Amino acid sequence: MDAPVDSQLPKRAKAPPSNWFLNPYVQIAIGALLVTASELLLWRGAQAVVHPTGIAKFLGINALASGWTWLGILTYVLSFICWIYVLRYVPLSIAFPAINIVHVLVPFGSWLFLHDQISPMRWGGIALVILGILLIVGPVAQAEERL
Amino acid sequence: MSALAITFCIVCQFLLVMGQLFLKHAMNCVDVTPRPWRRVIWNFAAGVGALTLWFFLWVGLMQQSALSRIFPFEGLNPALLVLGAWIFLKERLPPVAWVGVLMICVGIGLVTVS
Repeated sequence: MDAPVDSQLPKRAKAPPSNWFLNPYVQIAIGALLVTASELLLWRGAQAVVHPTGIAKFLGINALASGWTWLGILTYVLSFICWIYVLRYVPLSIAFPAINIVHVLVPFGSWLFLHDQISPMRWGGIALVILGILLIVGPVAQAEERL
Repeated sequence: MSALAITFCIVCQFLLVMGQLFLKHAMNCVDVTPRPWRRVIWNFAAGVGALTLWFFLWVGLMQQSALSRIFPFEGLNPALLVLGAWIFLKERLPPVAWVGVLMICVGIGLVTVS
């Protein structure tokens, strides 16, 4: 007979503080919002500078000339601080799929703020990616609630 | 998207996963007594290094494509990370999670051909 699902899940590394703001799952949500803001700002920064040619075009160093890029870096650093905190308390194979909620937030944000065109097929692909992430995170979240 | 751009997208995801594995290993060491500072610092530095490489490649890719087109490549990350955490951190997920991994891969395929 197979072991129960709970026993197959990675164990929480350490009990988090009781303060709601310091709850690692609240920090995952804050981190996801910060990453979304960062991705949109970095894209704007990348578009705001002259594009190089050749192999250099795959290295985004010239994007540092834009203030949008620096704002994107700042929000990314803030999300990184949230993330380091989360890693102390939550197993990586739980935390990482959970933070992938940005796969919903970023395409939605790029459609809303950057006016990107997204075809129905691409929306379908994005939805499938999200469903897959939910399948990974779902049983883990249920088990976490019981802890 | 060109073959080179797709290759860079995939390399990006490997760098990101490697960085996360190093960071998690560093944070796991933080709660060990006595704290192995050298191991914490080396793993943290390796994680930040991999993530820095990932960052510049990622910004470069953003200059070439619409964000909504390249961003779903990051859907590879959960698959790579579950594998990485299984191999290197000995973390286990239930079998249903592997169905999720397959759905993510199919989703990425749909995004790249659309």
